[in-house]
Amino acid sequence: MISFIARNAVRKSITLFFVSVISFLIIYLAPGEPSQIDPLNPMFTKEVLERFRKEFHLDKPLHIQYLYFYRDLFTGKSVSWKDNRPVLGKIWERFLNSLPLFILGTLITWTLSFPVGIRAAISRGSFYDRSTTFLAYFLISIPGFFFAYILIILVVTQLHVPVIGMQTFGLSSANSWTLLMDRLWHLFLPSVLGAAGGVAILSRYVRNQMLEVESQDYVRTAKAKGLPSDQVHYKHALRNALLPFVTMFGLVLPGLIGGSVIIESIFSWPGMGRMAYEAILARDYPVILTVNFVSAILVLAGTFLSDLLYMVVDPRIRL
Amino acid sequence: MKDFEKTISTPGGGVLEAPKRSMFYMFWRLFRKNRTAVAGMLIFFVFFVVAIAGVLLTTGSEPILDPSLVRLQEKLRPPFSKPLYENLRPYEIPRMGIYILGTDELGRDVFARMLQGAWVSLTVGFVAVGISVIIGVILGGWAGYYGSNKIIAGHVLGIFLIVLGTVWLFTDQMVSGVVLFLIGIFLTGFVGKINQQSGKNYSGKGFLLFPVLSIDGLITGLIDIMLCFPSFFLILTVVALLPSSIYNIMIIIGLTSWMGAARFVRAEFLSLREMDFITASRALGVNDGRIIFLHMIPNAIAPVLVSATIGIATAILTEAGLSFLGFGVPPPYATWGNILSNGKNFLFDAPWLTFVPGIAILIVVLAFNLFGEGLRDALNPKLRERL
Amino acid sequence: MKRVLVWTPILFILFLVQSYFWVPTYEQQTRGNPDRLYEYITASIGDAQILNPILSADSASSDINQRVFEGLLDRDKDLSFRGRLATHWEIYEEAYFYVNESANLPGMDPNSPQDVVRLILSAKEKYQGTDDPVFASLENIRDIRVILPEKFEITYTITQGDEESFPVSLSVSAPSRIRLTLKNVDQDLFSSLAQILGEDYFAKFDSSRYVSGLPGMLPEKQKQIAGDILPAVEHNPVIVFHLRPGVKFHDGEPLDAGDVKFTFDAIMDPKNLSPRVSDYEPVKSVDILDSMTVRIVYKRLFSPALGTWSMGILPSHLLNEKALAGEAMELRMDPDTFTMRQSRFNRNPVGSGPFVFREWKSDQYIALDRFEDYWEGPPNYRKFTYRIIPDQLTQEMEFYAGTVDDYGVKPHQVERLGIDPRFQNFSGLSFAYSYIGYNMRREIFKDRRVRTALGMALDVDKIIRYVLYDQAEKITGPFLKQTDFYNAGITPLSYDPQQALALLEEAGYRRGSTGILEKDGKPLRFTLITNQGNDIRQAIIAIAQDSWRKIGVDVRTDVLEWAVFIQERVNKLDFDALVLGWSMGIDPDLYQIWHSSQTNPNQLNFVNFSDDEADRLIIEIRQEYNHDRQVELCQRLHEIIAREQPYTFLFVSKWTAVLDKRIVIKEEGELGNVDYRPIEPTQTDNYTFDFNKWIKLSEQPQFLTE
Repeated sequence: MISFIARNAVRKSITLFFVSVISFLIIYLAPGEPSQIDPLNPMFTKEVLERFRKEFHLDKPLHIQYLYFYRDLFTGKSVSWKDNRPVLGKIWERFLNSLPLFILGTLITWTLSFPVGIRAAISRGSFYDRSTTFLAYFLISIPGFFFAYILIILVVTQLHVPVIGMQTFGLSSANSWTLLMDRLWHLFLPSVLGAAGGVAILSRYVRNQMLEVESQDYVRTAKAKGLPSDQVHYKHALRNALLPFVTMFGLVLPGLIGGSVIIESIFSWPGMGRMAYEAILARDYPVILTVNFVSAILVLAGTFLSDLLYMVVDPRIRL
Repeated sequence: MKDFEKTISTPGGGVLEAPKRSMFYMFWRLFRKNRTAVAGMLIFFVFFVVAIAGVLLTTGSEPILDPSLVRLQEKLRPPFSKPLYENLRPYEIPRMGIYILGTDELGRDVFARMLQGAWVSLTVGFVAVGISVIIGVILGGWAGYYGSNKIIAGHVLGIFLIVLGTVWLFTDQMVSGVVLFLIGIFLTGFVGKINQQSGKNYSGKGFLLFPVLSIDGLITGLIDIMLCFPSFFLILTVVALLPSSIYNIMIIIGLTSWMGAARFVRAEFLSLREMDFITASRALGVNDGRIIFLHMIPNAIAPVLVSATIGIATAILTEAGLSFLGFGVPPPYATWGNILSNGKNFLFDAPWLTFVPGIAILIVVLAFNLFGEGLRDALNPKLRERL
Repeated sequence: MKRVLVWTPILFILFLVQSYFWVPTYEQQTRGNPDRLYEYITASIGDAQILNPILSADSASSDINQRVFEGLLDRDKDLSFRGRLATHWEIYEEAYFYVNESANLPGMDPNSPQDVVRLILSAKEKYQGTDDPVFASLENIRDIRVILPEKFEITYTITQGDEESFPVSLSVSAPSRIRLTLKNVDQDLFSSLAQILGEDYFAKFDSSRYVSGLPGMLPEKQKQIAGDILPAVEHNPVIVFHLRPGVKFHDGEPLDAGDVKFTFDAIMDPKNLSPRVSDYEPVKSVDILDSMTVRIVYKRLFSPALGTWSMGILPSHLLNEKALAGEAMELRMDPDTFTMRQSRFNRNPVGSGPFVFREWKSDQYIALDRFEDYWEGPPNYRKFTYRIIPDQLTQEMEFYAGTVDDYGVKPHQVERLGIDPRFQNFSGLSFAYSYIGYNMRREIFKDRRVRTALGMALDVDKIIRYVLYDQAEKITGPFLKQTDFYNAGITPLSYDPQQALALLEEAGYRRGSTGILEKDGKPLRFTLITNQGNDIRQAIIAIAQDSWRKIGVDVRTDVLEWAVFIQERVNKLDFDALVLGWSMGIDPDLYQIWHSSQTNPNQLNFVNFSDDEADRLIIEIRQEYNHDRQVELCQRLHEIIAREQPYTFLFVSKWTAVLDKRIVIKEEGELGNVDYRPIEPTQTDNYTFDFNKWIKLSEQPQFLTE
């Protein structure tokens, strides 16, 4: 166990190192420069540009810039070029904004996928199964922003209520329960949209898992024994089908920092995805690289966690 | 070719020949039952025909349907409206005599643009997936077949120097870049040579021959690294930083989506390697190239095909998403993605500009997905057994 | 188990859906929630970057800075200056020249400084009653003084080649100097004086005679350095601002002359990297005359000077060295490298404008409260919220839902929204024009006829009508159409493809076998580029390609990402033709964009426009302080540019705005009577000119139409 953890840690930190190098190279070797140095702004003289470059260490050789950057990152000193705020503080603020979306989206995904998937598996080949399959693919196939606009327009033109942003602006004199509900309402559409793809994929996965388990001998035996079918499906089969899903909790982790750029832009939700997107547009290198680095850590931690959970859950596996 | 099959038909023929025929038969029998998948396949083919027709109808100096012909006075006409002939100069009159899908904000014929876009979207999807499949098969195959071979320290050092030298070449330090680059090349070649000559000569340069990691370790490591990047974010970063062009988009989507295929192929290769017919071929002295290309790849390709079909769908969606953010395929190419994202600004004035491409993307992507799913089910031995 | 599985999601989703009943609709926004009437919410595509007027360079930041900070003056409805923090100001000039000891003055031999003064004074009588410009110059002189010779040491930094520079210490023994104080700034002063003192009195002044210690170098170079130290003549325009008494910053500290000087010093401090340095570089000194009076002396004639003082004034007590050092200590940062750029002030600004900063949530909103102690009286709105909504369509949705009062309406939406009885709409000419620029380094574009022909082959009226929904006007030159600098007498190029073809034929282009125009076997082929993300420019590209193809020009097009477009193509001068826009200032200074010295890489005259007369006019315009004479010069310059067609000038777009009809202007009269009237657009770029008097009513008002 300990050797597994140690080996894994070494391997993952090597991977992390390469990720940091590669992302650094991609960003620094690409054409274009930080927008802070907008050259077409007549207000910027050549000297100002030079000074900016110096301040951002852009005049140094690449490997020195790399060292500077990660030194600043680990000492927590790295600041955004765009607004001079500490990068980690910015990310934390955005993380808190994205968090409710993530939680709600995950809740919808996980609560909805199971009943839908299980029912589809039980009544395999039925109309219900076929229509949920179709629906699942429908949700995967629809371009996200197209879907989002259709929903927004339906709500705004039919229900006449605001849906954009984190809350209704100008509600300052309302009571706190209304404010809470208002926030919840603003969370509703984006998290449904964010969850749509997840529900589709996860429910399909649940269905397949259930099918796998249902064909096992012990389930057949249970059926043959004459147990009520609900008990067979929901007790015997489901418990065993659930096993692989435990490990999926680890894979949810990277979603914490993911955040869809498109959904966040449409709903003007000040989340992680949008911050990263704006940082790319402004070539705010410290922010891009930090987001990338943190998300790589989360991906690695996620896979690590899921391996570990797998070991705990399934005694047959000894890594 | 015939000779070759004869030579191996004795030991491995039964395995090689018999399932091939029945495999396809079984596959078709299973696939046919899945009506949505068949519908998906039909749409898939219709889309193909439309895309090819699109290319024929919209290119050339005098295209039958000109997707870039601007008729400002005819802008935002709804679908199925007749052109107002009195406003048009002779060359502006649409050949069809009707705007089947209306016109856009510049008065361009949406039908013509959709036709042109079909081809572009299809190309983007196919080329991107083609790139990812090629990389995936090569790397996955390499890892699966030669996985246990070791990479020695000298190679690592040499390649490191080459990479560092190249990087320096592109920054300000030209001279040291060139020097490093040359040293790297020399080292790699030199080490390779002494490695071949004397396997165990550890005098002085021994550390250069120290095995560092296996090829399999390297490639799975590479896959792990690639998986660490959130893919849409990575694509967005690269597309935003590079000059936008249709080729860059195809290449980038391809370069960031090969990991799945590589994993499939690696797993298949690992299991195929141990199979009797491969062992037999090897025993007969068939060279590696033949074994890989004639025996292993055909047997390992099925899951790759499935993921490729779905990959095309994903690539079309990715392109639409990039278009939404303004980083899609740049004009003059029309793609369904950029027709959609341009159209959305006119959602209230000209809803067809949003709905036509939106629904078209939905249908095609759905068809690809259902087709891919049908393929997967039909090719999945576990499910096959049960039927 | 089954029940739990099925009911959990259903209940969960029902709970989410019921939250809908708590959210107000458009009408309820104001009814159930009276505070909404006192809050103004506007939407912007992008977030602000830095809320410090001397450091910001983006439009979102300046939207906020304008409300939080205030300048010494601004422009009123007719675009002329209006005092804000300054109640009034005077502009005059101090001009200096060294007595040229070697010159022969007419009529007197040994010329002492006093003789020179006497000569000038007597000349005034000679020219009396004539309308010779010399008389006007003399008449303008208020005072003449002689400054006695002086000796001083100076350390001068010599630059050689591109980068090398080294300091030398020089000893200077300056000759007597004469100071003229002028009533008005006069750029012709010295040419007038030369009429009296002799044509080359100033030109022959040899300053190198008075400077010793110059290292060995070319005499040319020596002369140049000496000329730098002792210029023969010098114009020093002066502005004296009288500040408004009783103005306070939001934290209660009074605003005085020290803050004005501090703001200037902060801009000029190299550590701050202020993007506004170029505006203030001509300033020689800022002197505090008393706590309410500031004098600004300029090194040279610089007519855009007055306009630059609309810059927001910073509170020195929060940002001076002591305050910054204290903040650095608090943040545990090195006080030596800590600059204003790092200060927390930039996210928590304190100014003296009508609104007080309250809160900034990045990419979400910036909230302001009204300043109760504003010198002009507090605004009617109590709150101002600046929302960041990055998507155009969702901005519109929020407007429908009533949670945004104002957003950047697109031309095509105006038509539709204008019909809605709930809304009022405005439009007016903006300050920005679009153009197609031709790189005149390219062989094909060197010929004016080609450029003109391309302009004629493009139907701009059609673009305005169909792409911009008539929300634009044609333009013929680089001046602001609302001002009199713009020469309205110039007619735009007419749309005439036949004439265009004739012009091209005159220039030597004939139809080749492929239908493309050719000259000496070379086809007329080029690439037209623009940046991504601007639909209108992309439409222009498509239309231009289409119309030029019709007359046989082979045009390729390319749309590039902004950073690549600017840095790789425009700055490196690597393009044939491009579609772009300029946002103009009110001041008619065209130096950076049109002067022939600005054609190098990274400069703004990237089309390589150069014309001797235009160069001369550009310089004279930026030295002329008299409005009427400036107008004359500008109109001439406009003619030249229109003749040369370095750009195909397309149009100035109109700004458009849609507001709820319930938003009106509310004014309280002297007697406490309240007067309501509808909002009216002004000539400025801004329909929000009277914003501080706006208020939203709970019912739509009915105004009597005269």
